Amino acid sequence: MRSVFKCISIIPVLAVLLVIVSGTSNAQEPRIQMSHLDHLAAKASETVDVNIDERLVQIAIKVFNDKDPDEAHIKKLVAGLKGIYVKSFEFDTDNQFNAADVDSIRNQLREPAWSRLVNVKSKRDSNVEVYISLSGSNINGLTVITSDARELTVVNIVGPVDLEKLAQLEGSLGIPDLGVEITKPKTKNEDK
Amino acid sequence: MNDEYLWDKSGEPDPEVQQLEQVLGTLRYQPEPLELPENFRPARRNRYLPLLAIAATLALALLAGALWLRARTDSKPGQQHAANNPVAPSPVSSPEKKNEELPHRADNSIPAGQERKVFAANVQRRPRRGFPALSKTERAEAIEAKKELIVALRLASEKLNLAQRKANGPASPGQIRNQHKIG
Repeated sequence: MRSVFKCISIIPVLAVLLVIVSGTSNAQEPRIQMSHLDHLAAKASETVDVNIDERLVQIAIKVFNDKDPDEAHIKKLVAGLKGIYVKSFEFDTDNQFNAADVDSIRNQLREPAWSRLVNVKSKRDSNVEVYISLSGSNINGLTVITSDARELTVVNIVGPVDLEKLAQLEGSLGIPDLGVEITKPKTKNEDK
Repeated sequence: MNDEYLWDKSGEPDPEVQQLEQVLGTLRYQPEPLELPENFRPARRNRYLPLLAIAATLALALLAGALWLRARTDSKPGQQHAANNPVAPSPVSSPEKKNEELPHRADNSIPAGQERKVFAANVQRRPRRGFPALSKTERAEAIEAKKELIVALRLASEKLNLAQRKANGPASPGQIRNQHKIG
């Protein structure tokens, strides 16, 4: 009889442990910490700081117009996302951020959780790194880091991402222009 | 053979039964105190296990309560929306039926002490929006989130395309390219 009581009394303990374990597994989402970059906002001439968690994504989805093909396209793209986090800084002068700022992001993007898809380093142009987090054969996280002398941008998308569809968004949708110069036109001197 | 002795020990004793009594009598129950071996130690009951179980049960109850409250809060805006636009209890659409229940009066007046029963009214309904379950503040929050979402997606898309162009385009001097194929 006592053993039966023991077994019954263990059930809630196991249930709590299960809740804790499931909470821990959620904590393993491919989200990276970018708050340490906030100090750059004081030096930057333009700052973009976007923090949209899963709740906000779900709320935002409700105001997308399904009849508009562009909005329907975005809605489909973001429907399963668990968060989008962006920090972008543009500076008027060179070298306002240091390598440690970028390294602190890069250090969070280590294998096996993350795989580096693209790494372009340029002495004159911007450096670009694309990392993806895989869950089986599906992408469940994306991080893009671009940096040059006067710009640092980190984009972190948590959740299933269709890279092809995401890349197709550029130049469509009537998305408001941020005024952030993303690609710098090459001058003749640079090409030489 | 006398069976009385066998049943209730009355009558003439049966020697055979007596013999059996003697043999089996040694196995008769004899009350004596329980003697435990010296090295025997009763297992100590874990005093903390019931407390732990109670704490865990309380934690689960709190968690369930919080989830229930959250679900309730989430569903409230829609209910409030419905409460603000009460629907007539029994909508009557056919004009004949309406005429039966509301007899025409020449002066269109209502007799004193008699309230006019309205079964249907010409209520101008608000045009249905695409997001009916959102409250005013939630809608404002949603529109703000949508703007931010689009800004974030635009940046992500541009950066992704930039990476693609740089990875696929002609390599400029001093540029190191490193593209990994996945899958």
